[in-house]
Amino acid sequence: MALIQSPDTFVVIAVWTGAIALMATLLLALQIILLRIELRRHQRRDADVVARWRPLLNAVIIGETPALPTLQAHERIHFLRLWVHLQGSLRGDATEALNAMARALGVDELARRMLARAPRDERLLAALVLGHLRDRAAWERLLPLAQAPDSALSLTALWALVRVDPDAAAEFLTPLFVERDDWALSHVAGILQQAAVPTAMVLGRILPGLANERLPRALRIAEALRVPLPGPVLAGALASSSVQVVVAGLRNVLTPETIVDVRALLDHPDWQVRVQAARALGRIGSRDDAPRLTRLLGDPQWWVRYRAAQALRELPALSRLDFEAVRASLTDRFALDMLDQVLAEGDIA
Amino acid sequence: MSFSQLLVESITWFVFCYFIALNVGYLALNGFALRSLRRKGQEMFMAELPRAYSGLEPPVSILVPAYNEEASIAASIRSMLQLSYAEFEIVVINDGSTDATLEVLTREFALLPFPEAYRRQIATREVRQVYRSTRYPNVRVIDKVNGGKADSLNAGINVSRYPLFCGVDADSILQRDSLSKVTEPFLRDPTVVAAGGTVRVANGCQVSGGFLTKVGLPHNPLALFQVVEYLRAFLFGRLGWSSMNGMLIISGAFGVFRKDAVVLAGGYRVDTIGEDMELVVRMHRLLRARKQPYRIEFVPDPVCWTEAPEDLRTLRNQRIRWQRGLAESLTANWGLMFSRNGGVPGWVAFPFMLLFEWLGPLVELGGYAFMVFAFFTGMISWQAFGAFLFVAVGLGILLSASGLLLEEMSFHIYPRGKQLATLGAVVILENFGYRQLNAWWRMIGLWRWALQREATWGTMQRRGTVKDAPPPPPGATRPD
Repeated sequence: MALIQSPDTFVVIAVWTGAIALMATLLLALQIILLRIELRRHQRRDADVVARWRPLLNAVIIGETPALPTLQAHERIHFLRLWVHLQGSLRGDATEALNAMARALGVDELARRMLARAPRDERLLAALVLGHLRDRAAWERLLPLAQAPDSALSLTALWALVRVDPDAAAEFLTPLFVERDDWALSHVAGILQQAAVPTAMVLGRILPGLANERLPRALRIAEALRVPLPGPVLAGALASSSVQVVVAGLRNVLTPETIVDVRALLDHPDWQVRVQAARALGRIGSRDDAPRLTRLLGDPQWWVRYRAAQALRELPALSRLDFEAVRASLTDRFALDMLDQVLAEGDIA
Repeated sequence: MSFSQLLVESITWFVFCYFIALNVGYLALNGFALRSLRRKGQEMFMAELPRAYSGLEPPVSILVPAYNEEASIAASIRSMLQLSYAEFEIVVINDGSTDATLEVLTREFALLPFPEAYRRQIATREVRQVYRSTRYPNVRVIDKVNGGKADSLNAGINVSRYPLFCGVDADSILQRDSLSKVTEPFLRDPTVVAAGGTVRVANGCQVSGGFLTKVGLPHNPLALFQVVEYLRAFLFGRLGWSSMNGMLIISGAFGVFRKDAVVLAGGYRVDTIGEDMELVVRMHRLLRARKQPYRIEFVPDPVCWTEAPEDLRTLRNQRIRWQRGLAESLTANWGLMFSRNGGVPGWVAFPFMLLFEWLGPLVELGGYAFMVFAFFTGMISWQAFGAFLFVAVGLGILLSASGLLLEEMSFHIYPRGKQLATLGAVVILENFGYRQLNAWWRMIGLWRWALQREATWGTMQRRGTVKDAPPPPPGATRPD
């Protein structure tokens, strides 16, 4: 005789659970089918928009002025994506022609409206459009967006602001760049390339007042912009008690103005500082620095030895004979190996 | 109620509840994955825009362990050289190949012996020579004594120059932008120590010049089952755990790590089969113990394609190895479970893996066997037996269907309606035999782990179903 008979609790619960799973599966299947139908519809619309607007966009890009039809409501998002994509791949007059076309179609007004109340993906698109258009009227709407906690949205708004007015954007937003750790430094640096000079000026002004924990990020931004920092600011960073600040400062050393500080940092107890000091000396040092760098070839840290050897190679007016002399003077096997490696790298390059 | 009645009822309820808990757990992960994917989907069009590098992207060392890869290694490296990324180097580690791998590399990349000041951060088997390409300055080759994949990766870490390294199987097919996408978390958050990307089944796809040019579905049923399996494992398994910072696996076929964190953890363990998972679990354990803030992330769109086994024998060996690897990874890191600062990895992910992945095959197969036995001996009614099967299969289909939904919501890699219909059929069919077979293989894996039989890498039988794809690797990848 069966120990568990129907209708018992187990069977009832199991059947109900199975039925719920089955129902949920059917719902998922329906959802998948609906998504696929929506995708097809989206692709068809996209193709229609490309077929209708791409020839016009092409004509505008090559300097023609075709008669423009009205941008239909159902075409708008597809058109904006196509337009943004073209803008991203073009330079010079062609982008200005595309901007004029967009304004003629009322795209600027549309994008400003989208920025205010559209879903997130459309707001991202609107910010891109307004950035390409350099739309000054959107400034006030972009500004709060650049301060939003959403990293992607705020960075896109930031990019648009820099496009609209690099000077004003640098003034308003440089402190934000320094504060917002969620903004990838590489993205920020990419955006700021267009506002390098005003940003460097603002950075120079705010750097002395920044807290130690914010300084490395600010200095990294300055490094990415490849704009020399004011001497006193740099000297202050190199004299800092924070290893991270000194390291970031050394990465910004581009001129011999601070060479005395850099030389002193070759003996810093932290190997990361010694690595960067060696690199900096390679950039700004002279023939006289060869003995200092040769000494570092015997450092216990691989990276210090490597950078010191590279810096030696980069020093001006040091011939192959000089290197042979350095090599002959070395008694440390690690130093010799490193010098051989770096010389071989130079030969292959 | 007699003792035997009580026993049968208890076991029945236990098996039933286990199945429910397992599936509810995975469905919860699905919910987390859904949230992440929706957000990602909103930003997807931005990824299509032309991209400019600022020079601040962290450079990456791509480590490619190779053992007897003479037929495919040159094509693989050439395709990797075309990856779109600001700065990267490729370090090929010839792990004592007995074929002409080194000769092929030397010829194809004009290698010359290089006086590398070798830095031994992690102990490895002897490195015979380091070579450098005179044609491509960012290609180096390490020739070393055979020591296995983990040992090769450790040697690669020692030689690598850059702060991030990306472990890639020699037969992996990477998408051109996969490196730039998988490194995104490192740009956004300095506490990220590792990131993994999606691995998909390449069988049935077309490859040209080392890149995947046309996505297709395989005709082989075993490979088809694995397509759905990989969707499930990556899209909601890893993405779900990643959203809670509880991901315990990054596939050895494609993962990026912060080098200093790996060196601090001691590098890859050479005495385990699942060196990729073991490293990630160990990093969780050590970083948690040190109370160091960190993140291990999964990025769903950087895709790496790999050829899946198409014959039962190879698939069986692969699954046995994976289960052994899982068992070794968990038992080597018991300290993480319910540890004081264990957080999600210690209090949720580790026990989940233990209960549903490690012990899963035992309970699943034991449950099936018990129900069949109980039914045929008349201990349970046919209604109870039928209801059990209804739940087990119904929940299995629901899980796979939810994986397919995530795919459809996000990437819709398989564009044709026929492909979607095929996948829909596979979602149902895999529950009638394939899953149970898998559970059986995994149980063998557990058994072998318990006996501590020596770990060896099986040979992967490749059928060349990826048109123009590079031929067989010595090892394989694990989707879950």
